[in-house]
Amino acid sequence: MEELNLKVSASPHVRDKDTTSDIMFDVILALVPATAFGVYQFGSKAAILILACILGAVLSEYLYQKFIMHKKSTIGDFSAALTGLLLALNLPPTLPVWMGVLGSVFAIIVVKQLFGGLGQNFMNPALAARCFLLLSFTKPMTTFVYDGVTSATPLAVLKAGGEVSLQNMFMGYTGGTIGEVSTAALLIGAIYLLIRKVISPKIPLIYIGTFAACIAIYAATKNYDVLDFTLAHLCGGGLMLGAWFMATDYVTSPITSKGKIIFGIILGLLTFVLRIFGSSAEGVSYAIIISNLFVPLIEKVTVPKGFGAGADISKEHKKEKKDSKKASDKEESKVEAEEDKEEVKAKMDGKGIAKAIAAIFVITAVMGAALGLVYSITKKPIEEANLKAKEAAYAEVFPNIKEVIPISEDENFYKEITAVVQNAGYESVTVDEVNLVANTDGNLNGAIIIVTTSDGYAGDIQLVVGIDMECNIKGISFLSISETVGLGMEAQNEEFLSQFYGKGFVEFEYSKSGAVDENEVDALSGATITTSAVVEAVNAAIYTFLTMFYKGV
Amino acid sequence: MKFTFKGGIHPFEGKELTMDKDVIEYMPKGDMVYPLSQHIGAPATALVKKGDRVLVGQLIAEASGFVSANIHSSVSGTVKAVEPRLTSSGSKVNSIIVENDGLFESVEFIPNAKPIEELTKEEILDAIKKAGIVGMGGAGFPTHVKLSPKEPDKIDTIIVNASECEPYLTSDYRRLMDEADKVIEGLRLVISMFEGAKGIIAVEDNKPKAIKLLKDKLVGDKDIVVNSMKTKYPEGAERQLIYANTGRYINSKMLPADVGCIVHNVDTVYAICEAVREGRPLIDRLVTVSGDAVENPCNINTRMGTNYKELVEAAGGFKNDPEKIIAGGPMMGKAIYTLDIPATKSSSAILCMTKDEVSEYEPSNCIRCGRCIDVCPGRVMPSTLMDLVERNDIDGFLKYNGMECCECGCCSYVCPAKRHLTQAIAGTRKEVLASRKK
Repeated sequence: MEELNLKVSASPHVRDKDTTSDIMFDVILALVPATAFGVYQFGSKAAILILACILGAVLSEYLYQKFIMHKKSTIGDFSAALTGLLLALNLPPTLPVWMGVLGSVFAIIVVKQLFGGLGQNFMNPALAARCFLLLSFTKPMTTFVYDGVTSATPLAVLKAGGEVSLQNMFMGYTGGTIGEVSTAALLIGAIYLLIRKVISPKIPLIYIGTFAACIAIYAATKNYDVLDFTLAHLCGGGLMLGAWFMATDYVTSPITSKGKIIFGIILGLLTFVLRIFGSSAEGVSYAIIISNLFVPLIEKVTVPKGFGAGADISKEHKKEKKDSKKASDKEESKVEAEEDKEEVKAKMDGKGIAKAIAAIFVITAVMGAALGLVYSITKKPIEEANLKAKEAAYAEVFPNIKEVIPISEDENFYKEITAVVQNAGYESVTVDEVNLVANTDGNLNGAIIIVTTSDGYAGDIQLVVGIDMECNIKGISFLSISETVGLGMEAQNEEFLSQFYGKGFVEFEYSKSGAVDENEVDALSGATITTSAVVEAVNAAIYTFLTMFYKGV
Repeated sequence: MKFTFKGGIHPFEGKELTMDKDVIEYMPKGDMVYPLSQHIGAPATALVKKGDRVLVGQLIAEASGFVSANIHSSVSGTVKAVEPRLTSSGSKVNSIIVENDGLFESVEFIPNAKPIEELTKEEILDAIKKAGIVGMGGAGFPTHVKLSPKEPDKIDTIIVNASECEPYLTSDYRRLMDEADKVIEGLRLVISMFEGAKGIIAVEDNKPKAIKLLKDKLVGDKDIVVNSMKTKYPEGAERQLIYANTGRYINSKMLPADVGCIVHNVDTVYAICEAVREGRPLIDRLVTVSGDAVENPCNINTRMGTNYKELVEAAGGFKNDPEKIIAGGPMMGKAIYTLDIPATKSSSAILCMTKDEVSEYEPSNCIRCGRCIDVCPGRVMPSTLMDLVERNDIDGFLKYNGMECCECGCCSYVCPAKRHLTQAIAGTRKEVLASRKK
């Protein structure tokens, strides 16, 4: 036999055919339906943005590796292309292309390469870049055009108490980011990934399940239509895109089986909290990148125990011996091996889980006590601060105040007034306080009315409205407002507020195309919901004033 | 119902190359090499010297302690030398070299036809020890030691490992198909050594003919059941096999006997039957010669000490140039760089591949897909362990259950980044074990 030219290496000597680039390519393929729908829906602008983002991502990875790291380029594994695509699908189609490219560069260079490249980043690069863009360019990132008209996303409409079409949301005929609109297209991709076994259904299902449960309970407490409200929340706001394609990102999700369950639950809870109580209506991006930060911790507490952990030479067999007679019966009755496994597992893990739960309770109790303590210590100063804020607001809405006299301090009194006001059509407004104002001359000069509207884009808005005896608005100030910075928050601007001043005896309305009539005010751009809430609140204040002081008018 | 465990993989089986072909009886022509260490434990002590004439079945090296095994000549001829020779383990081992005279003159084997009830435990154990039987699945643990547990009363289950989950290997299957009666008899002999013990023959369900054959032969039998296991690698790993068949767990610090089990390979049980009933020492075994570089892949009944080169020629030689030759299965076998090594008691296969899949891929960054964790039958985190190994963090390695790894190779197999996980973990395990011995 001639000389053999053999290769040697350690076992095993066979390898599965799947490679990293196969996996990345599969995810890209799975995103094709959603991408295609986005392009069909939003036109060539979306297509250009998608291509620009992908190119930006791939090029920045190539250039960084070649000229800065002097390493072999890894663009062949398609991970950079995937990041670019995912980023583009998370952007509004009308976003200027250069912003998209900037996002791609941020994702690849700052989030991925600076931390060591593929597999080393601790946040999902595409989502981190999206949040970076959202903070840097809030307005273009939150302007959604559908059918040529700037409109609120379905979830924003829902948050404002409006109605949405579930069917349109499922198919994708709504405004939103390029890739998030069509739940149907995203689900097709998700099914492909599941069939190809690229992702495990654990994270998405637990994420969506936890979130749906929270939303359903919330809807029930608010007397909404539970099913419609929940389904709308499932279809909208990029939940499907996030849950199936980004929460499942290998690099930034836990690798342990139990870790995936914990991760899914955290995601569901965070998304729920951010959507319902946060300032934006979507919340998925933030929920995922915040959860990404928990991954190392989650993995640390969910390390698998190893085969046969807890089995003991002396104990294990005695137990088994006792059971051995039963065991032979068992074998005949064909009890599934799986069941045995679960039993043994439960026995083994019982202690550990109990310990963990106990630890969580202790931590929660300590935290609760600490919070209570902080609350009781700060309660008085907070009340004083509130009073001061009120006085400052009074001074702002009415000049030369000598004395402010509350008409009543009885809660029921204000409940009755609120009922009257709400009956008159100002349904989301409550009247908190009505005060009479005496000026420095000692004459009765008007009233200061405090109202709260629950129609704000991000929660309640409390206004202080000063009205003189001729029913003219003297001034408006905010006691509490937490709208979007740069959009709804602009309501505090004198420029906006002064449109109300000196007017009264009117029902204000807002206009998006420039105020013409006396009772019209210019809407805040990009914050129609805030504008509408403020206008309604001011109208309610005027109505209160008229009812109380001009009875019968 | 299927007997199985959590994890595992489904590699290309390649068993159809050899499984239905008749076994070739091969009579060696060249020099025979008998390494004195073909088993776990102390090397045997040579009883012959240069120039001595030996016969087939003659004891040529004697067990040098309790954990050691006898070695017999498998040919007749003259002792040429006692010197170190290369073995499939990759190192040189002191060996007896016999010049084969081609006559195959044999010593007389004394059969024993006593009914099982009349055989004492000592008689059986003595026959096994004399015959030099060791575990023939690969590890080579002396069988008489395995059959002498500290607490014999505890043993209630004897499992014959016929799962043969390594791809390409079909020698156990052929043994079952051709010699089912002797395998069953061997198992009965072992069962008879432990009061109240039952037998299980565990076969993967990709061998339906073998399962049917055994079940037919064992209809109404109270002592032995045939369990059909899910076809999956590594179904035959000892700890996983015990769990799948009995629901009992053992960790890396325990022996099967700790949970009342003894596990034997098919060929070992066959050898026990031969030793007790025919008085024949362990001088031959089945070796699968397969792979896409071999002209006529087949199973060869091989006399111990036969050169691998002769075995490949017996299988028709090479039809293509091999790029990789593996002693054993593709998952756990060792790559060898020459065929000039002898078949030993634990040689299960010679696989000749025209392509080396491993060198086709370049390892890249871990993408944390978690596949290695999903498939790991030892329930550890291979990717994390490899990180720890690369950082030389032995404490971390132990904390993350590194020692529970059974080196089955599933993690390296599935890794999409083609990282050499098994190699890194196995290397560190060896270091830890070596430092513990000190």
